[in-house]
Amino acid sequence: MAETITNIVVTGCLYTLIAMGLTMVYGMLRVLHIVHAGVFAVGAAVGLVVFQTLPVGFWPALFAAMLASGALGVAIYHIGYRWVLDAPRGTPLLVSIGLFITLQSLLEKPFLLGAYASAFDAPVGLPRVQLGALAFTPAQIAIVLSTVAASGVVWLVLNRTRLGLSWRALSEDMNMARSLGVATQRAVALNMFLGSAMAGMAGVLVAVYENAVSAHMGEVVAYKAFVVVVLGGLGSVLGAAIAAFVLAAFEIGISTYLGGLFPRDAIGFAVLIVILLFMPTGLLGRRFD
Amino acid sequence: MSDALLALSGLSRRFGGLRALEDVDLEAREGEILGLIGPNGAGKSTLFNCLSGHLAVSAGRIRFAGRDVTRLAAARRARLGMARTFQLGKAFQSMTVRENVAAGLGIAAYGSFWRSLAGRASGGARDRRSNAILERFDLRSQAGARVRELPMGVQRRVEAARAFATGPRLLLLDEPAAGLTHGEAEAFAGMVRGVRDAGVTIIVIEHNMTFAMRLAERMYVLVDGRIIAEGPPEAVRADPAVVDAYLG
Amino acid sequence: MDAYLISVMTFIGIWIIMAMSLNLLVGYAGQVSIGHAAFFGIGGYTVAVATVKMGLPFPIDLVLAAVVSGILGGFLGLPALRVRHDFLVLATIGINFIVVAVFQYTPALGGAYGIVGIPPIAIAGVELLGLGMLLLVAAIAVALFVLKALLLKTWFGVRLIAIREDEDAAAAIGINVASTKIWAFVLACGGAGIAGALYARQLGSVFPENFGFVESVTVLTMVVLGGAGTLIGPVIGAIILGGLPEYLRFLHEWRYVIYGLLLTVLVIFERDGLMGPESRLRALLTRLLRRAAAEP
Repeated sequence: MAETITNIVVTGCLYTLIAMGLTMVYGMLRVLHIVHAGVFAVGAAVGLVVFQTLPVGFWPALFAAMLASGALGVAIYHIGYRWVLDAPRGTPLLVSIGLFITLQSLLEKPFLLGAYASAFDAPVGLPRVQLGALAFTPAQIAIVLSTVAASGVVWLVLNRTRLGLSWRALSEDMNMARSLGVATQRAVALNMFLGSAMAGMAGVLVAVYENAVSAHMGEVVAYKAFVVVVLGGLGSVLGAAIAAFVLAAFEIGISTYLGGLFPRDAIGFAVLIVILLFMPTGLLGRRFD
Repeated sequence: MSDALLALSGLSRRFGGLRALEDVDLEAREGEILGLIGPNGAGKSTLFNCLSGHLAVSAGRIRFAGRDVTRLAAARRARLGMARTFQLGKAFQSMTVRENVAAGLGIAAYGSFWRSLAGRASGGARDRRSNAILERFDLRSQAGARVRELPMGVQRRVEAARAFATGPRLLLLDEPAAGLTHGEAEAFAGMVRGVRDAGVTIIVIEHNMTFAMRLAERMYVLVDGRIIAEGPPEAVRADPAVVDAYLG
Repeated sequence: MDAYLISVMTFIGIWIIMAMSLNLLVGYAGQVSIGHAAFFGIGGYTVAVATVKMGLPFPIDLVLAAVVSGILGGFLGLPALRVRHDFLVLATIGINFIVVAVFQYTPALGGAYGIVGIPPIAIAGVELLGLGMLLLVAAIAVALFVLKALLLKTWFGVRLIAIREDEDAAAAIGINVASTKIWAFVLACGGAGIAGALYARQLGSVFPENFGFVESVTVLTMVVLGGAGTLIGPVIGAIILGGLPEYLRFLHEWRYVIYGLLLTVLVIFERDGLMGPESRLRALLTRLLRRAAAEP
């Protein structure tokens, strides 16, 4: 039981990290940002490469991965999304899908990650923590701390900075915000940067936690992240966090106590569909908050 | 009351704490052109949305053509003979003018899947009827144009033509003169009278008082969700409560 | 003709049927679905069970596949009534996932090992292989193309386009929006079921992983790339994307990288699809056709 709870906490944190970045991008651009999962995988890859080739520890590698992922996110905006923001709905989605396929196929190349998973064995330099009956390994502590820190930063930016204000304005009405002089390109770029950096962070943390980096590690994550984002009310950051833990609880709860009746991933979707049937706007269907 | 084509009693619509419509009584008699005026935000479009079934009512009843339609879906009301246009203009953008009108003609076939399959949307008799309608709304010369490429004024005429094509008993026009030049508004007023002469009862929402006064034979004035006056245009115009609401 | 080429063309024919059916849903009814491969799979598995386990002959298995996929598609239409746009997209992804999970975890459907040993189609004792199968697939594709074109000319076609353009306006002219959507799902998923049935017969086997997210994305891409909401669009899209991995075979390991880039670039440059109403390709082809018609 204790292990189930720690599992739920850790998984919930990971889902929160990934979904938060996705919600930020969706909230602003209204694009189903599928390539977020590709950025996730690239983050893990960069983290691994930096850790293995440079004489630095886990945390600098994580930081490098976040920078690289953030930059990739901005590049994706300039290469793809910028041109199709006012196109019919299917178009930006396909741009995202096209970029996702490209990224994954590139990562598969032998000179990058290759076709098989690589190990990512990095000591995080944190102690084991015991909270009553709950025992957390160092990797798990790293995940929880990173999530709390990242969430704190996002909350601060969204609610206490001019940048956050401009994000909320842009998410309401991009054209109007633009004409009101909100420095659009910069705000959008920073939004993509921060959201993608969080994807990269999640990628490294998952890679270290599961001791595996592979080109396709983003695929399953892509679906889960969307389940969380939708449940949380597309565009609500707080909702995404709540939904992340709800999903983690459901998944782990059901698969622990009902055995292998159904794959964990499908459970997430079943939950999603049931919730959509009763609450078509998700748990907290509001814009940026 | 019971022989009016349309009768509302005690109609209310609330949004949370906001009372958009409060206890509205209204009736439309067969063959008249009824005007519904009021300042911005008075609830006129909300009233239309409740009438046509696009918005549920909070309280009250709507009787149309002898039956209680309060809970009836919008499409059912349309098939019973209630047609409308929308304030923002909702002509089908990717279709041509002719196709929009033809879409209205198909109303009898929309009741069931199999009946929809049985008829063709163009050809012979249908085209002749379309032409007559296009003629009536002065759209014949633009019949083949795609709606999204037409100016807003023309688009609204297309929408009105499509509504007329459904063969309604009651036609609700939501701000038909908005954005029209004086000449266009006059021409449109003429078309509306022609529609009425063809046997259709009309209710017009207008923000443009002059246009409404000239067209309507009887008016209701809606302010803050309530009816504050009713009667022929001259009487309404002189009513102190009405003057107050518009100027105060 | 080269057996390999015939096989590629047969698969392209199957993709054409898939893309045309999805186009009805996405391009005409305006309901975005990234879960269409689920119904492809349902059709395929229906045929697998019908032939391998029940020994039913052609065309009964094909009809059964269409009907089962169509009816289940109608059920998918129900959540579609409650949610719109992005939520609908995600719900369809979810349904796809769940259907594949059902394939994977149901022992009667072979579980992870799928079902093999599906016999080729036999008409009057004659087995259809290679060229014979290609001709049948082509004939069915053409028939469905014509049926779709005819359907779109009826009042039902008007209902589809109306709900895509504006649901409120559609209701205002008497169209039952919910019923139209559900029927759109029934017809589109039934079409996918037919494609799946032919696929199962051509390949001789069905496996759960062949009907997942990637396949759904592929067929949606074919529709959007070719031009959603046009009759010829999905056909073009299917021919290009269905054959692309083959055309690019010489690029070997790089073909998916190119595929992804090509998709991204093409969609950016022609946002209404290659055969969209104002696309350069359509304009070019129209000019060429006019010139050809003008010369005696």
